[in-house]
Amino acid sequence: MDAFYASVEQLDNPDLRGKPIAVGGNEERGVVAAASYEARKFGVRSAMSSMVAKRNCPELIFVKPRFDRYIEISNQIREIFLEYTNLVEPLSLDEAYLDVTENKKGNPSATMIAQEIRQKIKEKTGLNASAGISLNKFIAKVASDINKPNGQKTVPPEEVEEFLEKLEIRKFHGVGKVTAEKMFQLGIFKGIQLKQKSEEFLTEHFGKSGSHYYNVVRGVHTSEVKPNRIRKSLGAERTFNENISSEIFMLERLENIAEEIERRLKKSKVAGKTVTLKIKYSDFTLHTRSKTLPYFIANKEVILDTAKELLYQEKMKNSVRLLGISLSNLNTDKNVKETHKKEIAMQLKFEF
Amino acid sequence: MKFIVSSTYLLKQLQILGGVINNNNTLPILDNFLFELKQDELTVSASDLETTMSAKLKVESDSEGAIAVPARLLLETLKTFPEQPLTFVVEDNNTIELSSNHGKYALAYADGEEFPNAVELNEPSSTIVQGDVLATAISKTIFASGNDDLRPVMSGVFFQFSTEGLTFVATDAHKLVKYSREDVSASQAAEFIMPKKPLNLLKGILAGSETDVLIEYNESNAKFTFEDTQLICRLIDGKYPNYEAVIPKENPNKLVIDRSQFLSSVKRVSIFSNKTTHQVRLKIAGAELNISAEDIDYSNKAEERLTCSYQGDDMQIGFNSRFLTEMLNNLNANEVQLEMSLPNRAGILTPVDGLDEGEKITMLVMPVMLNN
Repeated sequence: MDAFYASVEQLDNPDLRGKPIAVGGNEERGVVAAASYEARKFGVRSAMSSMVAKRNCPELIFVKPRFDRYIEISNQIREIFLEYTNLVEPLSLDEAYLDVTENKKGNPSATMIAQEIRQKIKEKTGLNASAGISLNKFIAKVASDINKPNGQKTVPPEEVEEFLEKLEIRKFHGVGKVTAEKMFQLGIFKGIQLKQKSEEFLTEHFGKSGSHYYNVVRGVHTSEVKPNRIRKSLGAERTFNENISSEIFMLERLENIAEEIERRLKKSKVAGKTVTLKIKYSDFTLHTRSKTLPYFIANKEVILDTAKELLYQEKMKNSVRLLGISLSNLNTDKNVKETHKKEIAMQLKFEF
Repeated sequence: MKFIVSSTYLLKQLQILGGVINNNNTLPILDNFLFELKQDELTVSASDLETTMSAKLKVESDSEGAIAVPARLLLETLKTFPEQPLTFVVEDNNTIELSSNHGKYALAYADGEEFPNAVELNEPSSTIVQGDVLATAISKTIFASGNDDLRPVMSGVFFQFSTEGLTFVATDAHKLVKYSREDVSASQAAEFIMPKKPLNLLKGILAGSETDVLIEYNESNAKFTFEDTQLICRLIDGKYPNYEAVIPKENPNKLVIDRSQFLSSVKRVSIFSNKTTHQVRLKIAGAELNISAEDIDYSNKAEERLTCSYQGDDMQIGFNSRFLTEMLNNLNANEVQLEMSLPNRAGILTPVDGLDEGEKITMLVMPVMLNN
């Protein structure tokens, strides 16, 4: 979907149409979750801090996000996808991979299916969508950005190689600002230069991702469309209106966060073992502390108790602008699940 | 060496002492009772090297001597006799001849010198406790002690004596019992860990007894003396875990409930619990306690509701039903209080009534985490 949150807001509120808007954040603090295309012209990007956004575009209107509405539309879109195939892997509320190799309509052309789907989305929701069509998830994702907004791009197998060779490194899915900078340092600006590097070279510089880059630039990406992607962690965090320096106030915030996590855990019916406390200091340095319990927890009090322990583990180095708790090692983990069935309960011991 | 003794009197004493003897001894002499005769005083001892117990019996005799008599053979014989005088005569051919109203029996004996000597306690400290108090302290705590060979200290009961009172603690890391008496005290502070076996023997002998027990102890051994009986045992070496540290201080959630109702509900519901975890769930909301258990493997399920008085937040906590049952069984109160803080913190079970003056008992149980 193109500028999804912003488009929804403009759709629902005609006053906002044609104006630069930002969803999320406010005049003073927070980050932009999505910017309308009008705002993007001024260089407003998602994940940009509100202050920078406002500076780039003084006309910018900040709109409060309404997630319930986005989810509603996301579900409508999902229904359309499911008319074509069950192999739908959602990436976020407004993005999904579809495997239409075999589809319910029996349509052999993925390009035409994309056309149809985009048409249907427009009819049903009034929103524009873009699509990328190719032989694997990676290229499809990259291709979907080419003719944005409201467009689509097909990369047929015979063009894959050329397409990737000409592709700017910055456009590779998974290459962000930092990696791109590193690539530039190594003289890699386009796919072709990336392709000339050996796998060893790339692994040496980029670790595990190195061999991923080595493969994708050759058009190799074997990841399947996973319709039931399992959740690996679940978390919540809060950025405060003002930086906090006293632990006592942090506790209060943590309690709210723990409550939120409990709510989400209940909703998705999972429990986890590892509690991670995320602390972002006022100087934007990020720290995490985590503790793994021998049993699964899904209860607010226990999450809070563990988070508290992590909080007091070490003194705060600075005032804090953001606190977050996340729970990982969830009982959705496949390998855990088998053993999990047996140790459904865990007898606790005194800590002597 | 010759003596005459009442058959039931002897049997009674030997049966008590027989508890010390292990079923399979590496040292064959330990399969015997040591008989030490000094005129009309017969001292019978039994030992497993760790624990030695002896009792003094009044017999009719004017001779002296020390022999080791096979314990099992003697006990089995004595059990069959109705009350009557028995005559023991030591013969030359290393046998002891026993004469009853029914006939004669010969048992091979070993020289009393072969029997290991009991340890002597050097410079012991001492305390006097009433027999029944000691027996109660043992029976209230011993069930909570562990069987883990890797943590031998937890396989015993921790005796903590001070001028303010006596404290007895046992734990297996899952449950813990602390039993204190403020009405009895020691002249000086001392701590030691008593192994289970001698405690079980003492518990059996001393239950309901009003006689005073003299407890003497030093770093490595303890000696219990009462009436004509004496028990000496080796203490468990090591440092007892800091149990005070695991007793939660803040327990905002307090449940008060009828003990026998609670116990029978837990027992009934636990029949349906998982066979390895024995987990029962307690769900408390308002004045209602919901006890449930489930065995997913067999699709068995049970649920009961009890009214209780409860102060605190609604909560859900899981416990091993065996621990709960044992603990509730070992309290004789009409009402009990269960204090809790979090579902992963120990619950504290205390009796509301039924305690003697100066008596205090605290039971802790660690939960079984619920995985829902």
